[in-house]
Amino acid sequence: MTVMAQAGKKVALTGNEAIARGAMEAGVSYVASYPGSPTAEIPGVLALAAAACGHYVEWSVNEKVAMEGAAAASFAGLRSLVVMKADGLNVALDFAGALALSGCRGGLVVLVGDDPAAHSSIREEDTRTICKAVHLPVLEPSSVAEARDMTREAFSLSEFLALPVVVRCVTRVCHASGDVTLGAIPPVERRPVFGREDRVITFSARLHALLEQKMARAAEHFAASLFNAYSGPGQSDTLIIASGPAVFYAREARELLEQEDRVGILKLGTTWPLPASLLLAHLRGVKRVIFAEEVEPFIEDGVMALAAAEGLLHLSFYGKRSGHVAGSFGPGAGELDVDILKEALAGALGLPYSRPVVAAVAQSLGQEMPVREFALCAGCPHRASFWAVKAALELDGRGGVVIGDIGCYTLGMAGTGYHLLQTVHSMGSGVGIAGGLSQLRRFGFDRPVICVLGDSTFYHAALPALVNARFHRSNFLCILLDNETTAMTGHQPHPGRLTTAMGEAGDTVLPEELIRGMGLPCSVADPYDVEKTAVLVCDEMRLPGPRVLLLRRACALVAVKGREKDTVSVDPEKCLGDACGCARFCSRVFGCPANIWDETAGRARIDEAVCSGCGVCAALCPRQAIVVKRREGVGT
Amino acid sequence: MTGQESLRQKILDRGLCTACGMCVNLCPYLGAYRDRVAALHPCGLADGACWHVCPRSGLDPKQMDLSVFGRLREDHALGCFSAIYFSRAVSKAPGAQYGGTATALAALALEAGLVPAVAVTGGDALAPKPVLAVTREEVLAGAGSKFTAVPTLAAVNRGQKQGLTGLGLVGRPCQVAAARKMAETTVPGYESTVPPVALYLGLFCFFAFAPEFYGFLSCEAKAEWVVRSDIPPEELVVVTAAGEQRWPLAELKPLVRPGCHHCFDSTAEWADLSVGSTEYDPDWNTLVVRTVLGEKLLALALERGVLEIRPYPPERLPLLRRAALGKKQRVLAGDRELSGLALDFEYEAAVLRQQGGASGDGNGTGR
Ligand SMILES: Cc1cc2nc3c(=O)[nH]c(=O)nc-3n(C[C@H](O)[C@H](O)[C@H](O)COP(=O)(O)OP(=O)(O)OC[C@H]3O[C@@H](n4cnc5c(N)ncnc54)[C@H](O)[C@@H]3O)c2cc1C
Repeated sequence: MTVMAQAGKKVALTGNEAIARGAMEAGVSYVASYPGSPTAEIPGVLALAAAACGHYVEWSVNEKVAMEGAAAASFAGLRSLVVMKADGLNVALDFAGALALSGCRGGLVVLVGDDPAAHSSIREEDTRTICKAVHLPVLEPSSVAEARDMTREAFSLSEFLALPVVVRCVTRVCHASGDVTLGAIPPVERRPVFGREDRVITFSARLHALLEQKMARAAEHFAASLFNAYSGPGQSDTLIIASGPAVFYAREARELLEQEDRVGILKLGTTWPLPASLLLAHLRGVKRVIFAEEVEPFIEDGVMALAAAEGLLHLSFYGKRSGHVAGSFGPGAGELDVDILKEALAGALGLPYSRPVVAAVAQSLGQEMPVREFALCAGCPHRASFWAVKAALELDGRGGVVIGDIGCYTLGMAGTGYHLLQTVHSMGSGVGIAGGLSQLRRFGFDRPVICVLGDSTFYHAALPALVNARFHRSNFLCILLDNETTAMTGHQPHPGRLTTAMGEAGDTVLPEELIRGMGLPCSVADPYDVEKTAVLVCDEMRLPGPRVLLLRRACALVAVKGREKDTVSVDPEKCLGDACGCARFCSRVFGCPANIWDETAGRARIDEAVCSGCGVCAALCPRQAIVVKRREGVGT
Repeated sequence: MTGQESLRQKILDRGLCTACGMCVNLCPYLGAYRDRVAALHPCGLADGACWHVCPRSGLDPKQMDLSVFGRLREDHALGCFSAIYFSRAVSKAPGAQYGGTATALAALALEAGLVPAVAVTGGDALAPKPVLAVTREEVLAGAGSKFTAVPTLAAVNRGQKQGLTGLGLVGRPCQVAAARKMAETTVPGYESTVPPVALYLGLFCFFAFAPEFYGFLSCEAKAEWVVRSDIPPEELVVVTAAGEQRWPLAELKPLVRPGCHHCFDSTAEWADLSVGSTEYDPDWNTLVVRTVLGEKLLALALERGVLEIRPYPPERLPLLRRAALGKKQRVLAGDRELSGLALDFEYEAAVLRQQGGASGDGNGTGR
């Protein structure tokens, strides 16, 4: 593993690996996380290194539990790391706010992955605004190397302030690769100390005052931090204040517009609390300020407030508030890039500039870019489940509604899931929404209510809603799409699995044990048997009360790993092509990526490269034209 | 339009579907759950077998007579037939409705190798289901009438998928008509050299109950398991573990499946053999022999001592004819479009002219 290479070596790491390395170089003892893009790889890397380094890693059921565990380690004096995505911080927020008040002992770093443009998230939340609300300091790396540096330093900072420190790392840094000169990994030597006399209490307004003092101390400390750096002429009239990867976009924009002599760039690596004295020193000499940050105008608002308070009324500001820094979705939405900053800088300086029109570029290449649609993988059990649910809704005929949740199966809102899902919000929220809808019966709402959620989501946040549903006699069918893993983020284990992140044997908690333990009826079926599943969904929809239908089938990506696949093929004699009344059902409607249409032969075909061998399409083909050859040699 | 969209708009959405099951499993776009046939997804085709095989989509009795019998009927009440008897099974299947004729004939056809399997309606009155019976036991287990509409023909299509063709069918009149239409269809991809059904054992049927009937059974009759149900003239009898209960049929009128009000055929006019009640002797059936194949099967049944028959009492024939005609005349008096019949004026006039039709004859069933 490159990430474990010797100190002194210069190696190429991803941002996520660099963060893991930084934590190890800081001597982290305790790592906990719930997986979420873009930071999901970090704990995995640390888990692989656990045996060599002696630290502990767990995939917790959710971010709140992860943070609580990490806090415990910190209370006992150990260094701990908790990793999550922006949405995860919201889950942990109640505890995070309390933890800010109580403070911590051993360095506690909260590594939060922000996802500007929401590449693999439902929203592009800016963690800095949350951290401001609960008073947690924020560091923001702009490169892979800096991600390692900041993570490592964040532990010392946390101990210096006796406060958890947040490292906000965006997708473009997490997923980038860059050179890192490795530092030494010290042995994990600290021993936990937490005696009867220790107190970590939050219940006092006095603590808020103390927290404000800590933040003032942080601001002071940040003013001298090497993570903040100025580059540019000694005398300039224009300053760009940049953070995260936008630092590089700003530099490139300045270079392309040939404004190196005129424009300075202040790179901010410590974005909360703002280093006021440093900022003021730079603001005093310039006429205009441009802000380059993703996503919210966070530094921008802070700097404008600071300028106003200091009476720096000669300054002009160019950013999201003024509308100068804006991508195609408008200011404050989406990622930044060099073009956006070139346009902003040119606008601020009154230089001629016109943004390249993407459509024109595409045209010059000779064709439009094809639209890439969302698609569940070939053989995905969710596709089978969704077709069964879709069929069941039509067969039931009472206009049942389907409530969604967060996971791979969120794609049930798109064509690949037959547009089934009608709501998609946050982890576990579907169960609560379904419960609420079903309570509307007293006001005349008479549609059957179904919610679908995955196994990992079930453990994460669905349990309270299910208990609530039982107590209040809600009436809905909860369909648990159990693919036996946290598939969306890379197959991390959850309590339903046999082994933990460390590869140790877990005391497996099967979903059906929990469900039945809650006193809810739970039936189990295999979604690959689509027809039977559809009938079961119909049956279950007609029965009263909150009930759970567990559709269990391993994620196709896991199931075929390292195994010889069953081979599926189309018998061209039996497939009638367009003469069949199926109207190209397999390739056009069912839509598994392995079901393709052979234009020249005028027949359906299987793309063997992607086919997982599940055979669901074979069962749905009205002509038995799709043939599955089982590995054992048993045909179907 | 003569495809799924028409089926949905003109039949399914209007509540005219009889749940015969012929379109179910023909393609991936139509399915059935219990008594409900539904379009699962629009297939987008303008023309489809589903529409053409539907017994409610443009049924032309003249054409049906010609293709089944090679001639037109003389009797508008009962259709083409060569003989009519009272019949019963020599050894009656447990649970058989009356004389057990239907079950005995189906079992015989299977055992004599005339058909590889028979589509029957198994389960019980509360949870009936299509069954493709390949053994005598499975045929016997289907004995007894379930008075709801069960998509039995879905089992025929399932059989086709398994490579079973030339099957036997015990079905309601709409099911016999649908399977006959299927055998004749010229929709590409659905034409057959061996028809899906080769032996048609039809049941008399004046109506089936809508799915609400299940609710009635479990609430009103408090039934968890119905031993037997029957509809002797003008009442419903339900036998459960708790005993026998009776309701006047008039009370149950609202539970009749809406599509059944527009049905023209109460005696399975295009079956090989049609089986009904005698209306007065619960140990016997009315048996109408219609085709050469029907004659042959009856001969075999008599030869092997499977069935016994006696002459149909001549004085009862007018009653049966009046009931069957009455139903047709009520359909003609109703919303013609909903019947889905393709009748020419002459044919219609002939039906209305026929003697024996009774307007004030209530339901006029001859169960
Ligand atoms: C919905 C319905 C309405 C009927 N209405 C009348 C009527 O008005 N007048 C009359 O004389 N006879 C009517 N019958 C027919 C009658 O009830 C008997 O089925 C028939 O007389 C045969 O009797 P059997 O003793 O031979 O029955 P059995 O030997 O018991 O055989 C009955 C056969 O009918 C099949 N069957 C049961 N339920 C259904 C169903 N829902 N759909 C299709 N097949 C089914 C069974 O699988 C079995 O094969 C009706 C039948 C049904 C199903």
